[in-house]
Parts: sequence; structure tokens; C-alpha cells
Amino acid sequence: MVVASAPEAPEAPEVLLTINDVSKAFPGVKALDHVTLEIRPGRVHGIVGENGAGKSTLMKILSGVYEKDSGEIVFEGNVIDKITPVQSMNLGLSIIYQELNLVNTMTVGENIFLGRFSESGGRAGVHAKAKALLKSIGSKVSTYRQVSELSVSDKQMVEIAKALSFDSKLIIMDEPSSSLTADEMDKLIEIIHDLKSKGIAIIYISHKLDEIFGFCDVVTVLRDGHVIATRDVSDITRSEMISMMVGRTIENEFPPRPDSAGETILEIKSMNTRKLKDVKLTLRKGEILGLVGLVGSGRTELVRALFGADKVAKKSIYLEGRPVQINSPKDAINLGLAMVPEDRKLQGLLLGFSVEQNISLAVLARLTEYGFINAKEEAAVGDRQIKALNVRTPSGKTKIRTLSGGNQQKAILGRWLEMSPKVLVLDEPTKGIDVGAKYEIYLLMKKIVEGGGAIILISSELPEVLNMSNRVNTICEGRINGEFDPVTASPDEIMAKAFEFA
Amino acid sequence: MSATTQPVGRRVSPQAAGVFLKNNPIYLAIALLVIVTSVVEPKFLTLNNFDNIVRQFGVLVFAALGMTFVIMAGFIDLSIGGIISLVAVVTVTMIDKVGQGPAILVGLSVGLACGLLNSILIVASGALTQAESLFITFGMSLVYGAVALMYVQGVTQFLTYSETDISIFEAINSGQIGILSVAAVMFLVCLAVLVVIERRTYMGRAVVLTGGNKVAARLAGIPISKTIVMIYAISGLLSAIGAVVLISRVTLADPTMGTPYMTQAILAVVVGGTALIGGRGSVLWTVLGAFLLILLNNCLNLLGVSSYVQFMLWGVVLIAVIWLDAVKEARVSS
Repeated sequence: MVVASAPEAPEAPEVLLTINDVSKAFPGVKALDHVTLEIRPGRVHGIVGENGAGKSTLMKILSGVYEKDSGEIVFEGNVIDKITPVQSMNLGLSIIYQELNLVNTMTVGENIFLGRFSESGGRAGVHAKAKALLKSIGSKVSTYRQVSELSVSDKQMVEIAKALSFDSKLIIMDEPSSSLTADEMDKLIEIIHDLKSKGIAIIYISHKLDEIFGFCDVVTVLRDGHVIATRDVSDITRSEMISMMVGRTIENEFPPRPDSAGETILEIKSMNTRKLKDVKLTLRKGEILGLVGLVGSGRTELVRALFGADKVAKKSIYLEGRPVQINSPKDAINLGLAMVPEDRKLQGLLLGFSVEQNISLAVLARLTEYGFINAKEEAAVGDRQIKALNVRTPSGKTKIRTLSGGNQQKAILGRWLEMSPKVLVLDEPTKGIDVGAKYEIYLLMKKIVEGGGAIILISSELPEVLNMSNRVNTICEGRINGEFDPVTASPDEIMAKAFEFA
Repeated sequence: MSATTQPVGRRVSPQAAGVFLKNNPIYLAIALLVIVTSVVEPKFLTLNNFDNIVRQFGVLVFAALGMTFVIMAGFIDLSIGGIISLVAVVTVTMIDKVGQGPAILVGLSVGLACGLLNSILIVASGALTQAESLFITFGMSLVYGAVALMYVQGVTQFLTYSETDISIFEAINSGQIGILSVAAVMFLVCLAVLVVIERRTYMGRAVVLTGGNKVAARLAGIPISKTIVMIYAISGLLSAIGAVVLISRVTLADPTMGTPYMTQAILAVVVGGTALIGGRGSVLWTVLGAFLLILLNNCLNLLGVSSYVQFMLWGVVLIAVIWLDAVKEARVSS
């Protein structure tokens, strides 16, 4: 870490943290592009943006998890460079992650003073100080309780107390409301107001607009790693904010939309889980149906339930007019359903295996006779899909690990295309893929539906959904709450619907 | 062909051979052991000693073959020691009741049933990690061991006290088929079947796919539960075959005799190069691993190293191999 005096004239005294022209690139993605922000004490600064806009990257740079590529960060007049997470906390900059960073098997008091037992007066001192801190934010949680026994809300209190124990001047909250009930949320808002009155600055990351308009003072909209605007909340309307979040210019990124929709092939008459509420959905032959929703809206749960990946008792699914039972992915595959899952590495790829073996996976049963795999057929299947999808690989025997993300994804698509699926579910099919490969995947989608298949497309990239789909359903809090014609509907309308209960 | 088998026996350039040996140091280790020992102890390279090696380690190689499938699928089976003990006492006590042939069948069925029970517990509890399978099979090893002890009240059963014919056991121990002993032929048959399953069949592929990425394999329609049932059934059955070979050689069944074989079987699999995390391996590699252990043991015996020191060396070898495996795994994934 280097903490040196700012070379230029000192910042205006009321600015606590200045992020000046900060950029950060990951292979193939510019996560942050010349981002500039000013945070002032005693104010709640909301940061909004779609998934992948750069919110988390920015926070991780502030807390020292990532290192910025360029730009300058000034905290209390000191330039901060190459900081570790612990140093950042000691400076008075705390971050409360969405998934919370507590040691479940230790007590509340021990968690708050983790790694600082002796300087905090040992066991007695730790618990006394922890109790006082919790009391100051109105929490009555016993400091002797084990963290694993606490509710999410209480865990958040512990995190906040921990931040206060470092005399934090800035607390960053990363989507804190995602797992809170309404009552717990009220409590959190109260604490935020309280922290504010103590002169502590808060960065509040969320994509729930109600929260931004409810208690934030300032809001910054991020999109594709750029700061689109920073405004006082009182000076901005909801619809303005939405169009700032989604409105990006679309050039020739997409092939012409397919026009081949026919009769209904798949109908979900009802589907109920803890997350999904009476979901109904129809899909036509030759159609691409876009499913728009936030992360956590139930969109992934919906397709996983359809595909039999998660067990769902209460569901009624009709395929080509007949009721079908899907209790496992194998059932789904036998019925002609296919799914390219959300997380390529964890759920799609077999990294240690060859391209050919990755492709043959879904049709392995077809290649098997009396229990024996027909090796010649398997190689032929691999070669056919490698050629058809233009997978750039030295050979079918090459380990798929060595291929680029785009080519890995094409191989996984090939796995499913080989079975000529009736219904293909694509969950974030172009995530982390370069533009060229994206275009090839769009062309492929078009070819699939024009050949009589049907696609359900889930994507966090709205332009992708708007340009490729024939029809768009929005999903919000586990309900399908809107249907749009992507040709005539505006992105703002669709996003407003997807944000409806948010 | 299995996922990562190196093509052996094709045109091999010196560099390729170098890389191959670097990735598979086991061949060097075996060669080194053979050379060193035969220089120090000329008796080593005799046919008699070779025969001795094979007999002594019959049970180990059988159990290790079954263990290979379990580890390739990303699981582990610590219960084989208990299974071997239980199968041994059941088989010997059944001879006088039902005759030797049926007694062997009963013994094999017990081994198979134990394996199936393991797999049912694992599938039903949803234990899909290696650690969970480790604890479940460890628990079952205590159960099987205790059942064996209770069944014979802790008393050793002697094969030679049987009042009926025990010719099959005698044949397994000392019979010859051509130039090979009966036990060696049994081993080669088991090996051949397993190699074919591993390399050519759907279930064999399902085993490595499960070890490679359970989630992805399941989403592509590979039956993970069936695969788990199969690998534990095979492990149980092969342990049982090993137990029959063992009682034929030592002519007795002791309710704790299986205990040491669990560690040795795992050692043979891992020394052979099958990845402990699953997804990569071969029963043929395990044969090499077992061979290396046997050589090491045999040469230490010939050199007069005490068995206490040898126990320590087993432990050192196990840790060294797992260490090397971790290094190799880190290199492969980076």
C-alpha cells in the first residue's frame, strides 16, 4: 500500500472519497472505463446499473480485492494505491458484501473483533465493546451467540457493527436487501438514517429503484463500465433512470430477427415452487421467446424446473399438446428438450475432456449399442458439430480446456444441436464471449428456429433479447408479469415491468 | 478410449517420451526399483520370487481394481477392509453348511450386497462429495467389521477344519492353468472385463464424466445415481473376490483380516496416477501402482528392512504421491 499526500491542491473538504478516472479491464471486457465519482460524508450514495455494469468491480477495487489499471483514488486527502482488504478497513472504508463475510462457527463478538482479540481487551473486552456497538445501532443480539444461528438481518447488523468497530467513515453495502423481509428492511433503513446522522457516508448498491428513491440522496447510474450520470435523487425521475440504465446504441451487432413462429409447441400451464408463483408460459415452434428478469427474479429457477434439473412437485407441462412428466434432465432430454446452463464452467463444460467428448455427451445414449459406445460414430458427431458450428480447435481430440470461451460455448451448443432439440433453453448464452463469437451464436439461434426448433432465451443483456426474440416475457419475483412485442415495445417499458415489484 | 490416456506404443519421439516419463514418473520408479534390488539381491529376478509376489498381493490387486472406478468417479470406499473380513468369515463358515461352490457364491453376494448398501446410503443421503462418501463408507467399514466379529464371536475360522471338500480353494491357491496360476488367471479376467468397461462402454464413460463434473454430466442426462450404485457394487464384488483368494492362500478366515487392505488399495490407485479428485484414471494404471508397491515391499523384505519401518514408508509414499498429484493437478488446470 502507498498512502501519500495528494500532489495537487487538497480536495474540497466536504469530499470524503474521490474516484478519479479509474479504469479496469479483464480479458475481453472493459469492466470500468474512466469512472469518476465523488462521495460526501453523511450522505447515502446509490449506485445502480444492470448486471455487468461494473458495480461490483468498482466496489472490489475500493476494498482492495482488485487492483485498478489506471486512475486515482483519494480517500480523506490521501491517494490510495495497492491496498489490501485489511488496510482498507483500517483506513475506515468497510464493505458489506451481499453474501456476508462472517465466520459462521464463531460468536458474534468474536466476528466483530476478528483478528483483533488482544488489542481489544481479550474475551471480556471484545464482548463488552461488541455489545456497545450493537446497542448503538439498536440491535439486541447477544454477543455470545454463534453467527450460524442468526437470521440474515441479524448477520447484517453484525457486519455493520464490525464496520463501526473500525471507525469506518464510509460503508459500502452491496445489494443488502436481496434477502431481507420487509420488516428487516425497515430496520436497515432506520440504521442507514442513523449512520447518516453520525456523518458516515454510505454507498448503497442496488437495482431496486424503490430503495434508491426511498432513502438515497445521490444516485450514480453505471452502464457497461461507464458512469452515465450522477444526480441528486430529487432531480431525477424513475423513467429517466431506467432509460439511462438500459439505453445503449445498437448497431449491427445482431442478424435480422427470425420470422418463423408457428403453432404452440410447449406450454407450462402452472409451475409453483418456493421461488416461482403460478408461472404460465407458452412457446411456439420456430420462435425465440425472450425471458427478461433480474438476477434472482426466478428466471433461472424457471428453466431449471422445466428441464428437471431441480425437483418440482407442482407443475403441469404440455409438449406438443400432450402432458409430460419431467423429473430429471434425462427425462427432459428424452422428450427433446435441451438446456445450455447459465454457468459454462460449473454446469456445462467437462474441462478435462476432449472437445469431441464434450459434444457427444447429450447423445451418448444414442451412440451406445448393447452398452458399448460406438467410437467411430462419436468421432463423426464431434467432427460434424465442430464443422457446423465453426468451433476453432486443432482437432476433436483436443482438450476443451485449451479453447477460448466462445469456442467452448459453441461446442456446448453443438452438444445440444446434435440431438435436434424441439425446445432449446439458452441461459446467458453469450456471457463472457467476444463480439465475433456472439454474432455467430445469434446466427445459429436463427438457424435453429428456422429449422423448426424453438428457443427460450434468458439474458441479462437487454439488447440481445430485444433484437433476437419474437416475443418477450418479463419475470419478476417469481411471476411472469408481462408480455411484449420486442419490435414495438421500448426497452424502458420492458425494464419498468421487470423492475415492477423491485 | 479413456479421456486422458497417453497413446503408448505409437511412434514415440525422444522428447515425447521425456514428457511422458515426466508426467508418469511411475515407470522410472519401477525400473529403478527393479534394477537396484536385483543388483543388491540376485534372488530378486527369479521366477520363484515373481510367483511369490503375485500370490502375496492377490487380494490387494483385486480390491484396488474396484477402488479405481470409485476414485475415478470422484468418490472413495473405505469400507473394503470390513467387506473383505465379513466375506471371508461368511464364506468359510458356509462351506460345511452348503458346500464349497455355493459358499463362494454366498460370499460374493455378501460383498456385492455391502457395496450396494454403501451406494444406497450415499445416493439416498444426497452425499455427492468425496468427503461425504469417505465418512459414510468409513462408518460402514466399522459396521461390516463388527458384523464379522459378531458372526463368528471373534473366533478365527480355519478352512482346513472343514469336513467337506475344499478343492476349489486349493485350486485357487496352487492350481495352474498353463504357465499361470489360477489366481493370476482370475485377476487377468477381472482386469480385462474392467478395462473393456472403462474404455468402451457407456457406464465406463459415465464413471469418468461423474468424476470430471457431476453437475454438467447430470444436466446432459448422465445417470449419476446409477453410476454411484455401479461403482460401489463393483468395489464390493471385487473385494469379495479378493477375500476368496485370500482365504485360499492363508487357509483361514479372521474377522479382522481385511483391515490393512483398504489403505493399500487406495495407495495402489493413487500411486498408479488416477486423480484423487476423479475424472482421470485407469485400472491399467492401478495395476502399475500395485506392482510398484509390491516391488517396494518385496525389495524392502529382501533388504531386511523391518516391517515397522515399512509401515512408515507406506505412509511416506502415500503423502508423497498425493503431494505430486496436487502439483500435477495445479499444473493441468492452469
